[in-house]
Amino acid sequence: MGKRVLLADDDQLLASLLNFRLKKGGYEVHHSANGKEVKEYLKNEMPDIIVSDIMMPYFSGIELIDYVRNDLKSKTPIIIISSAGNEQNVLTAFELGANDFVTKPVSPTELLVRIQREIYK
Amino acid sequence: MSISKTKDLLGQLSQLESTVSAFSFEELNADQANELKSSFNSFRTSLEKHIYTPNMDEIVANKMEVTATNQQDISEKQFITQVSHEIRTPLNSIIGFANLLKEEKLTKGQHKKVDAIQFASNTLLKLINEVLDYAKISSGNSKFESVDFNLHSLLKDVMFLCETLVLDRKIELLIEIDENVPKIITGDPSKLSQILLNLLGNSVKFVERGFIKLEVFTKQRNDNAFLLEFSVADTGIGIPKEKMDTIFNGYIQAADDTCKKYGGTGLGLTITKEIINKLKGNIEIDSTVSKGTTVRFRLPYLQGNIATLPNKSIKKAKHNFKTELLAGTEILVFEDNKMNECLIVEQLTKWGCTVHVDTDLDKGLYVLSTKKIDLILMDLKMPGQNGFEVSRAIRSHKNAKVNSVPIIAFSADFTQQDSEKCKEIGINDFLLKPYTLEDLQTTLLKNKENKIEQTEFLSILQKPMIEPKETTVVDLNLLLKDCFGEIDMLSQLVKLFKINAIEFIGNVKIHLKSGNLKEIGLSAHKLKAGFAMIKAEGMRKLIVELEHSCKANELEKVKELYEVFLNDYPLLEDNLSKELEIMKKK
Repeated sequence: MGKRVLLADDDQLLASLLNFRLKKGGYEVHHSANGKEVKEYLKNEMPDIIVSDIMMPYFSGIELIDYVRNDLKSKTPIIIISSAGNEQNVLTAFELGANDFVTKPVSPTELLVRIQREIYK
Repeated sequence: MSISKTKDLLGQLSQLESTVSAFSFEELNADQANELKSSFNSFRTSLEKHIYTPNMDEIVANKMEVTATNQQDISEKQFITQVSHEIRTPLNSIIGFANLLKEEKLTKGQHKKVDAIQFASNTLLKLINEVLDYAKISSGNSKFESVDFNLHSLLKDVMFLCETLVLDRKIELLIEIDENVPKIITGDPSKLSQILLNLLGNSVKFVERGFIKLEVFTKQRNDNAFLLEFSVADTGIGIPKEKMDTIFNGYIQAADDTCKKYGGTGLGLTITKEIINKLKGNIEIDSTVSKGTTVRFRLPYLQGNIATLPNKSIKKAKHNFKTELLAGTEILVFEDNKMNECLIVEQLTKWGCTVHVDTDLDKGLYVLSTKKIDLILMDLKMPGQNGFEVSRAIRSHKNAKVNSVPIIAFSADFTQQDSEKCKEIGINDFLLKPYTLEDLQTTLLKNKENKIEQTEFLSILQKPMIEPKETTVVDLNLLLKDCFGEIDMLSQLVKLFKINAIEFIGNVKIHLKSGNLKEIGLSAHKLKAGFAMIKAEGMRKLIVELEHSCKANELEKVKELYEVFLNDYPLLEDNLSKELEIMKKK
């Protein structure tokens, strides 16, 4: 079985492309478009890696990192997707325990390389 | 005069009502059936309201007596216009759905019944047209036709319609035409069929078992002038003696108790009597409770001439639809009545047209600038939107692709002023509701041809002027690579992108109203990534600027940028589609 990726992003367009590429790369993808759903999912299952947008409805990427690291006490790697010019958010994310980040527009190839690096570190 | 004609409608109406309710709706889906029925009911209610509003008759009668001053003239016309609109709109649906039904796989019985609906509703339409003929009303002439017609085939048609009404009952329908009754006579065929339908329709209502018999013979003859006697006898419930005196005053009673009594008290008889009197005939009634009723009436006719009968084969040729000419036509319909929408979409789709329906100007403009629309059908009297204003906005749009599309307006009423307004705005053609399929098709074809000429002209004009605008440039090559060259995936992404853009337009529209710049900024932010993906650098920059203006709370700037976006995005989407098509071919 392929490694499991949780993809949390409310941008359907980007999510579709990433979903497509991750599956092609042999990953199993669970995609969710809002923070609430992500939280529910994580209660029952812990993927091998989490890829999350910072800006999401109901539950932001920052809150997600906090939840995974402090509430669930999980060390699952987290890669965040940030918009250009949002350096402050990226710093906060790193402080809370994010492992890596990519900036929009996201290159799927680059993201795949980063995912691979985190999983097989 | 007009009001008495309006009353004539009721006879036809009850006929149509029985036909509609007798129709078996199995083959229709539930929605269609309900629509047809509810359309009929609302039609009836509105008609009754207008006709039986107490004193309405008096008011109109008074108006008629006093020589019409301008003011009275106007209010009368307003009244008629109002009635016209309310009657025509639902009648349009009845006729339209009946037409559609016929194209479906129906059993023989159902087919007959649909024919009956058509026959009745067309008669009704004819009457309404007469009532609403402004010229006739203002000149005050109620005209009766005097044409040659085949009496025997008229009787056959009438009996056929009645047969479809009693299919599921044990009633015998009999007809006896005396040998000495001429075949071709001169007179008013539509009035005669109306009288017969009223009388036979009444019988059908009140007969449970037994028979209904129509007899015709020549009562008197003077050279080529005939007095024909018609009798309709039935084995129905009969009429009590005390009611016989008032039976021809049905509508006065009905005025006290409006709609309730109308259903069963033979209101049709009042109408029938009025018509017969006007045709210089007479009518009498003979009835015994629980035995039956016989109605006799006599009408004068002249011997007709077979040579002057309209040639039916010519008429038939006209109905030959050239639907293949419409296949592939893309039509944008502005209509906010669900029923009409459903009808017109079905009609046009059957002819192979692609149909977009919108109620809203902005969405309509969006469709116009992103799709290749050949024709616009515009309901002028939408409750929420003014069709004139929508048309004006289309004609004054900057984009030639948008402002050149032929517009066909349709409405249930149409005044001289409306016609001038149409010309002024640049509406190309007009359809009056209810229209036949033939009307619709002819008008569409005529205007579609216009469009072809126009576009050729425009493309010659525009060619040297086209310069790629920075904000409309896209490049899908990189995204295709990201999709590993899979064109289906790329198409899907392009589709998603377009949806995002539409959502953005919607969001901005909503939040501009309330001045919520924060939400607009957020929407812009979400859209930005998409433009980056399709390498629309110019447009991405514009969106970034828009996002910044939102943050800086510059409402005017936001509006300005959004205007540019609205204008340029359609062109960008065009380029996007073109590029995708080219890639697909490769």
